[in-house]
Amino acid sequence: METIIEMKEIVKVFPPNVIAVNGVTADFHKGEIHAIVGENGAGKSTLMKILYGLEPKNSGEILFHGQVVNFKDPGEAIAAGIGMVHQEILLIQEYTIWENIVLGIEPVGLLGRINQGEARRNVQIKIDEFKFNLNPDDKIAEISVAARQKVEILKLLYRNVEVLILDEPTSVLTPQEIPQLFSELQRLRDNGKTILFISHHLDEVLTLSDRITVMRKGKKIDTVDAKDTNKKDLARMMVGRDVLFLSKREVKKPGPVVVSIENLTYLDGNKRKRLDNLHIQVRAGEIVGIAGVEGNGQFELVNLIMGLSHPSSGQIQVNGKELTSANILERRKCVSFVSQDRSKMGAAVKASITDNVMMTHHRLNKRFTHWKGLLLDYRYSRQFTRQIEEQFSVSMGSMDNPFRSLSGGNQQKVILGRELLLEAPFLLLDQPTRGLDVGSIEFVHETILKMRSQDRAVLLISADLEELFRISDRIVVLSRGKIVADLPIEKATVDQVGYLMLEGENKAIEQEIR
Amino acid sequence: MSKKFVSGILGILAALILGALIMLFQGYNPITTYGALFSYSLGGLYPLAITLRNSVPLILTGLSASVAFASGPVNLGQPGQLLIGALFATVGGLYLHLPAGFMIPLLLILAMIGGALWSGIAALLRRLFSMDEFITTLMLNMIADFLTYWAISYPFFDQSSYSPMTPQIDKAGWLPEFGNFNSNILIMVIVFVAVWFIFKRLTAGYEWRMTGQNSIFARLGGCKIDKNYVTVMLLTGALAGLAGGLVVMAGPHRFLKGLGANYAWDGVMIAMVANNDLVGTLLYGLFFSSLQSGALGMELITAVPSEFIQVLQSVIVLVVVAGRGVMDVVMDKLQIKRKARERTA
Amino acid sequence: MNIFIGLINGMISGATPILLAALGGAFTYYAGIFNIAMEGMMLEGAFFAVLGSYYLHSWPLGILCAVVGAMVMALIFILFTVYLKTDEFVTGIALNLFAVGSTTYMLRQIFKVKGAFSDPGIIPIPQIHIPLIEKIPVVGGILSGQNLIVYLTVIAIFVSMYVIFKTRFGLRLRAAGYNAPSLDSSGVKTATMRIWSLVICGVLCGFAGAFLSLGYVTLFSENMTAGRGWISLAAVILVNGNPGGIALISLVFGFTDGVGLFLQKYLPNQFTSMVPYLATLVSLYFYSIQKRKKLI
Repeated sequence: METIIEMKEIVKVFPPNVIAVNGVTADFHKGEIHAIVGENGAGKSTLMKILYGLEPKNSGEILFHGQVVNFKDPGEAIAAGIGMVHQEILLIQEYTIWENIVLGIEPVGLLGRINQGEARRNVQIKIDEFKFNLNPDDKIAEISVAARQKVEILKLLYRNVEVLILDEPTSVLTPQEIPQLFSELQRLRDNGKTILFISHHLDEVLTLSDRITVMRKGKKIDTVDAKDTNKKDLARMMVGRDVLFLSKREVKKPGPVVVSIENLTYLDGNKRKRLDNLHIQVRAGEIVGIAGVEGNGQFELVNLIMGLSHPSSGQIQVNGKELTSANILERRKCVSFVSQDRSKMGAAVKASITDNVMMTHHRLNKRFTHWKGLLLDYRYSRQFTRQIEEQFSVSMGSMDNPFRSLSGGNQQKVILGRELLLEAPFLLLDQPTRGLDVGSIEFVHETILKMRSQDRAVLLISADLEELFRISDRIVVLSRGKIVADLPIEKATVDQVGYLMLEGENKAIEQEIR
Repeated sequence: MSKKFVSGILGILAALILGALIMLFQGYNPITTYGALFSYSLGGLYPLAITLRNSVPLILTGLSASVAFASGPVNLGQPGQLLIGALFATVGGLYLHLPAGFMIPLLLILAMIGGALWSGIAALLRRLFSMDEFITTLMLNMIADFLTYWAISYPFFDQSSYSPMTPQIDKAGWLPEFGNFNSNILIMVIVFVAVWFIFKRLTAGYEWRMTGQNSIFARLGGCKIDKNYVTVMLLTGALAGLAGGLVVMAGPHRFLKGLGANYAWDGVMIAMVANNDLVGTLLYGLFFSSLQSGALGMELITAVPSEFIQVLQSVIVLVVVAGRGVMDVVMDKLQIKRKARERTA
Repeated sequence: MNIFIGLINGMISGATPILLAALGGAFTYYAGIFNIAMEGMMLEGAFFAVLGSYYLHSWPLGILCAVVGAMVMALIFILFTVYLKTDEFVTGIALNLFAVGSTTYMLRQIFKVKGAFSDPGIIPIPQIHIPLIEKIPVVGGILSGQNLIVYLTVIAIFVSMYVIFKTRFGLRLRAAGYNAPSLDSSGVKTATMRIWSLVICGVLCGFAGAFLSLGYVTLFSENMTAGRGWISLAAVILVNGNPGGIALISLVFGFTDGVGLFLQKYLPNQFTSMVPYLATLVSLYFYSIQKRKKLI
């Protein structure tokens, strides 16, 4: 097979001291589907971004069709024939499909006026060519996530790229949408396109790809043919040690009901029902996992529990205490919360580690203040920070350093420490392991299981089905703001849950077509 | 800590060099000019006293801006709050006749109430109607300007004078001087220490700082965002109002047109240069005051118009602010080079 | 009837500088820049307009100088926010302060006066009298006889709407504000669009300043923009940048300026001067209430 891209000894360093890509050499063949796998932080995304011109490399050489290339920005890469679809959909919500696709190469007439008719027609031609089933006049904000991904791909095909790079393409799709994506990619390959895709989902990688390159901690471990390898081998190469895919839960009988959510309904500003008559119970010593495609009510549920918004009807109780309309401080007396986005909701990243750790404790724990809560006791706060450092094995420099000087995994450990030491009976976790390395993920899971054995009630919201199946006792599926399943984990399967997650979405699209 | 300091000093030096270039371009001698500038502001007890006295409104309005910006509210209303505070103190000083021991604290309190009232309007509009305080405080500045102009032209007008101004306030309200040094410096120091203590050591200050960095984080942590917002607006308004009162009581002892001039906007500038750091505000306040105090003397000796100082000040702000961004970029590039070297070693 | 015409003309004069500056602000708003330097750009424009008109003995050159003066401010803003990556808010405030300081200084240095410079040697921008139209009763007095810049402003409104909504430039400009990374990934540099928007803003604010010092009155006084830049900022925010909306809002503000003059018979002039700023507060009230309803 002809080699179309060669990357030689690529090095990339991020300030202050992260070596993201450490001398990687790899080559890709024309007309193949090539997967690049590795855990979070292995450098696979960075490597592709360098190829694509999004990140400058510090040293190394790239050859495309045998010629040395050095794309300074994606524009040059696309002009040469290489396009990349990112993990986060990078489309303009306010524009239509055709506006997004022609942006940058708009057909124009006099005085720069855009030829709307011509643009629409050209886009429709491409849609038909690849059988994508889209309407050029739809606004991005109004179509499904899978459709948006198609628009991203179409944008690149419209510019006649021969190489398509996809970064974690299945992370935004439900299990049922994935086969459709795969058949589209296979069709493109059969049409002569080269597909590079980044993933850490080994089943998908083995199903779809021709060859697989494994990366770990910035280095390339090996490139193998998909038919010559299996999950266990790949995992070992990715992590460097044997990884077990077993559940780690000990058998345990849950205690009395701690969290009781009843008839919870929430209408947003446009009077759309975001949550519809929710009924969730979490018992002491139980982990309830909430599965669902993002945007199906998880965000609203978290806000209602934490007190950022109020329900239209229904109740939230913890240990019999009515929290439905309580202020946030009242709720914090019995709810620990690890948010989805550390820098947005979980911390003040420029403030010191100590400052971040004190939050909420400064109001709930008298030891942190003097004079009836008026004056801070910094000495106690520093002691407390030290305690978290030890108990949660956080590797930090000085506790006066800014929070953001910590690595992602350590940041999450500090936040966990802060929240868990509130000793609240109810623990709400929203995507707690997103973006963490395998070691930190292990640690977080073990900590959650420890909380379970200490009889705390845990509500775990996660987009990672594998994580949910690993540690939950019960699984609840949220779709379009409704609970469509509430099962003990032994009675649930990944396929079933995936189907239920999607069921609500399909109904909605049918309604819009009608 | 030292990184802040270095970028600040470098910024000032760079701006002074730029200023020297501008002077050379116009045919002035920068060395004698700067020399005159600093000798007229710091060379001798009298200039020093004047510099210190004039630094008080700068530092107080600077504190007002620093505390506000670092806590979240965009209070740009110091000019208006200063004027209203000055008006309240003046009116109190015209109609109340008490011994100095009571008069002075009372007038100061009136000044703070005036400033807090004015910022309170903006805070109220925000809490009740979600009106952005950024715009409301700016509009209130203009309104306060006209309102006080009217007040000193009609109801409180000094009939014996030819231009808009009030009569002088009761002598008991005049701030005493010790030699050449005005006691407003003393008040400023006390207030500074109090503000520092509140901001850094009290629980309330902690919540304000965290809210300023990430309001959702603070809110989720149980901080009462709304209550804190109002408190900060009132406090910073009071600080600016206090500055106004002190200008009247330590200076002309009456409210005349143009009182307070540019102090308040300079205070905002100082807060920006200091990056909202309290001690930095104090130091920059002193520095800018020395620039301003020396300006007239500079003009006397070298004929460089005193307005030049306004240009120099804004250049300093631009350079220091730009410098901060550049410093970060440069430091990061150095780090990469170092890491790459380590890797090959 | 004359009062009516007088009020309308007053409204147009009051609205024009705000409108022009707000149009400039609209471009930067769509591009996703938090630009609060319109006040400073206008002030520099006003000063350089007088400078050019006086020393070069012509008002077209005065306008040119005004544009250059405002553009210098815009370029500094570009240098700082795009290349040195400083905070837009801080840079804007610093530039406004710089404008006040530098114009006051130059007033002193170049014209050797404090406070204001007024001289018959300053050539004002003329009014345009359209031969047939001015004969129309009532409307004639409004449609004809306006300052040249007023007519240019009307053209500017329509040109802006066309450019922003119908052209390739406009599509890319708005994309820079809606989703900058998306635009960059399409091969168009967001930075370029933002630079252009600032250049356009500089030009428009230059015209606004020229109108102030060579049209509305014929002089330059310290800080003569008197917060109009802030009002134009409010206008941009209140209508989310839409040029048509900006035209309407500016007329409203201009009207309050005129009403202020009218009320001078009944109230001390300090209160009438407050009217535009009070009007801004009132509009902001309606805007905020309406926005809040949408969020709940």
